[in-house]
Amino acid sequence: MTPIQLLLIFFSLLIAVFYFQRLRSRLLDRLIFFALLVAAVVMVARPDWSNALANGLGVGRGADLVLYLGISGLAFLWLGLYTRQRELDMRLTELARRLAILQAEPPKKKKVSKKK
Amino acid sequence: MISRPIPHSKIFVVVPAFNEGSVIRATLKPLVALGYSVVAADDGSRDNTWRQLAGLGVHRLRHPFNLGQGAALQTAVSYALKQGASFIVHFDADGQHTPEDIAGMLEPLIAGKADVALGSRFLRKDDWQSVPPSRRLLLKGAVFVNWLLTGLWLSDAHNGARAFTRRAAQQVVLRENGFAHASEILQQIRTHKLRFVERPTRIRYTKYSRLKGQPIWNAFDIFVDLVIRRVLR
Repeated sequence: MTPIQLLLIFFSLLIAVFYFQRLRSRLLDRLIFFALLVAAVVMVARPDWSNALANGLGVGRGADLVLYLGISGLAFLWLGLYTRQRELDMRLTELARRLAILQAEPPKKKKVSKKK
Repeated sequence: MISRPIPHSKIFVVVPAFNEGSVIRATLKPLVALGYSVVAADDGSRDNTWRQLAGLGVHRLRHPFNLGQGAALQTAVSYALKQGASFIVHFDADGQHTPEDIAGMLEPLIAGKADVALGSRFLRKDDWQSVPPSRRLLLKGAVFVNWLLTGLWLSDAHNGARAFTRRAAQQVVLRENGFAHASEILQQIRTHKLRFVERPTRIRYTKYSRLKGQPIWNAFDIFVDLVIRRVLR
C-alpha cells in the first residue's frame, strides 16, 4: 500500500467521524480554510514542491495529488452541506407548522353543533 | 375499566391534502356527517383545495408552501392535540378510505387494548379482492421492505388509515416530511414500545386515486430516504 492510499483511507474515516460526532466548531472550520489557503499558495508558488511531495507520497504528478485531495475535500463539503440542509429543512417545517396552526380556521358554528 | 362512550367531537380525523381540490369535499363531507372533528391540512396546494375546504364545517390549516405529506400530517396532528383530541385518525384526502371503517379502528383503542390501530386492506377477503393484482404484488413487496427497515411484520405496509390514542399521537412525532413517514411511524411505534393492532379497511380504487397514488418508482426514493436516515442519524 502506497502512502497516498493510506492517506485517502484516513480521509474517508475522518469524514465518517466528522459526521457522526457533528464536530462543527467555527474555529475548526477556519483552521481548515486557512490551511487550504496556505497549501494553495505554496502549490502555485512552487509547483516543483507539489511534485516532490506527490512523489514522496507515491503519486506520479503533483496535479494528481491535488485532484485526490480535492475530491476528499469535496466529500467533506458535501456532507457538511447535506447536514446543514436537513437542519434548515427542519427549521423551515417548524416555522411553517407554527404559522399554519396560528392561522388555523376552526369550523364556523352555524349549525347547532353538539359541543362537549 | 368502565367503557363510556367517547363523543365523536373528541375524535379528530386529520386529512393532509395537496392539490386535491376536485375530490376533497366528497372525502370530507361523510366524515363531518358522522360527527367527527375534521382537520384538513392544505399542504401549499396550487389548485383550489383551500377554497374547497371552506364552509364544510372542518378545521382548515394551510402550509405557506408545499412541505410533503408527512409534514402536513404532523401539522394537523399537532393542531388536533392542541384542540384536546382524545383520539386521532389519519385519513387520506383522495377518497380511497371508507369513513365507516373508523369506528372499527377505534374500538381496540377505546377498549384500552392498543395504542395504535393500523388499517389493512388484507384482513377481509372482499377488501383484498378489490385490490388490483398489480398493486397486490407491490404492496406485499413493501411489507417485506418494511420489515427489513422497521422490524414490524404487517399485512399491509402502506395504508394511510391509522388511529392513535392521544398519548400515542403525542409520542409519534414525524420528522420525515415526504412519503417516508409511513415507515417512520412504524419505527417510532417500535421505539416507543406502543401496542398496535391491524384493523380491516376497505380501499376504493378509483381512477383518480390510482392516478394520484404514489408511482412505483417512489418506493425507491422512500427506501433511500429511510436508509440515509438509519445510517446517518
